[in-house]
Amino acid sequence: MNVEETILALNTHFPALAAVSPRPLRVFTSFTEPKQFEEALRFANGTLGYHKGKHIVGTDEGEEIGMSYILSNDENVLLVLRERVPKNAAHVRSMGELYPSLVLHEREMVDLFGVQVSGLPEGPRYPLPDCWPEGEYPLRKEWNPAFFNKQTTTYEPPKEDDAK
Amino acid sequence: MSERNDHKVVVPIGPQHPSLKEPGSFKITLDGEKVERAVIEIGYNHRGIEKACESRNYMQALYIIERVCGICSHAHTSCFCQAFEELAGLEVPRRAHYIRGIVGELERLHSHLLWLGVAAHEIGFDTLFMYTWRDRELVLDLLARIGGNRVNYGVNTYGGVRRDLESELMADILRVCDQLEEKLKYYAALALTETTLIARLKGIGVLTPDDVRKFSAVGPVARAAGIMADTRIVEPYGVYQEIAVTPIVDDHCDVYGRTLVRVKEMLEAIRLIRLFVREIPDGPISVRAPRKLPVGEVLSRVEAPRGENVHYIRSTGADMPDRVRVRAPTEANWHGMSHMLEGFQLADVPIIIAAIDPCYSCTDRAIHLVGGGINQLTDWESIRLHSIEQYKSRGIDPSTIKMREF
Repeated sequence: MNVEETILALNTHFPALAAVSPRPLRVFTSFTEPKQFEEALRFANGTLGYHKGKHIVGTDEGEEIGMSYILSNDENVLLVLRERVPKNAAHVRSMGELYPSLVLHEREMVDLFGVQVSGLPEGPRYPLPDCWPEGEYPLRKEWNPAFFNKQTTTYEPPKEDDAK
Repeated sequence: MSERNDHKVVVPIGPQHPSLKEPGSFKITLDGEKVERAVIEIGYNHRGIEKACESRNYMQALYIIERVCGICSHAHTSCFCQAFEELAGLEVPRRAHYIRGIVGELERLHSHLLWLGVAAHEIGFDTLFMYTWRDRELVLDLLARIGGNRVNYGVNTYGGVRRDLESELMADILRVCDQLEEKLKYYAALALTETTLIARLKGIGVLTPDDVRKFSAVGPVARAAGIMADTRIVEPYGVYQEIAVTPIVDDHCDVYGRTLVRVKEMLEAIRLIRLFVREIPDGPISVRAPRKLPVGEVLSRVEAPRGENVHYIRSTGADMPDRVRVRAPTEANWHGMSHMLEGFQLADVPIIIAAIDPCYSCTDRAIHLVGGGINQLTDWESIRLHSIEQYKSRGIDPSTIKMREF
């Protein structure tokens, strides 16, 4: 399925995705909520032939965390499907059953962005070390590496009183 | 090693172990000698490169990106520069594209030569290991002359390249291509006819075309399963828009197939380098790049030696990226690793792991130290003579040993 056919099919079934192609072999969609995202992902896998899960790009969207899933098909189109969840209740379902190759990237979302992914198969964490402090997610914008103590592996931001 | 109640044995390999030069942990559950399950734990080398890029300007980020990998540093900067140039709307001069192509194919040569040596070492064929690593020096010396370093050459910049290629250097590149081609043809013949090598590599670490799609494998791993996954062909960029790459695929779906693909790709790299050197146009090597990028996002990909490299940049209009995401080819090829190991013998584990050419750090060895009173160039011949002297001091004269000519 080429770029034009992909855009037509997605925008017909999921108008909220507003799929566009900024350049050849790329289809980008807008962020959507998890339920519709999951439907769109299943549609892309089952109907549109996007069987390859390339990777996930996590982004800090302020009060929310964005997850852009990069998929591909036999025509080598890169399709970017996205979902967005609140930062303080970041929870999504694993898509590993559809795309086993995305499991490692979902683990990354857990470690680096603090997104809880239900349904992840058992396995070691990735990529942070076992001693990494609980509740610290380094790719969130508010996380400042300057406050990370490498010796004690603790995150020590200045207290508000200190700042004053 | 621990024995479970069902008499199956779990063998932990790594994080530091003799097979790989980079940390990775493998928990192998064995039924006799057969691998029943393999759990892979990676991430020991996580350096926070993406986070580091978010707090630095684009030029600083380029230096960090170059250090994602010691072996395929040029592939990473090519991908990152390409993403930047697309977002900035820069028209890169043709000569710069050709220079990027020449360095890129030299990098593919040295990466595949390194891999062939590692693979040979894993199966106990250390003569081949020594031959290929010796030959790799020829390529590394060229890269050092081009960029000043054996790895992390620093050739790429936004809008083109930082270093031009003089005609004398291009003549030397062609001369090395002639030398290497002769040797590579010998290795190709070896891979096709040497029964021990074939018996050791054939039928292990199998990944079928369906598995490749399922696990989203890339590069020589995918091409050895008959799938034409080569970004230079499926989405030509730079010089590959003008000069086409000959597709190289194989249908063995195993470690042997991956070996054949890489050996043939080295010969193809030589063909491409000769064409690039012959066709390189005159003209500027770069255009002026802006300090800031317009608001937007871009997903760029190039074909690194190990496979498809994908870089994502999101810009908010500032002089530093809002988000950088690097998906290196090895990251893609780990997904199918457990599947490749399961069902095969414990003794096959090292070569199956090595067959995806997992990325491990390459020590940057300085050939020309400036300052501090040290100004010394050590070449291959000096090292060889030094080695001979060392042996002579122990009563052995290796110069009397006749080496096989090939």
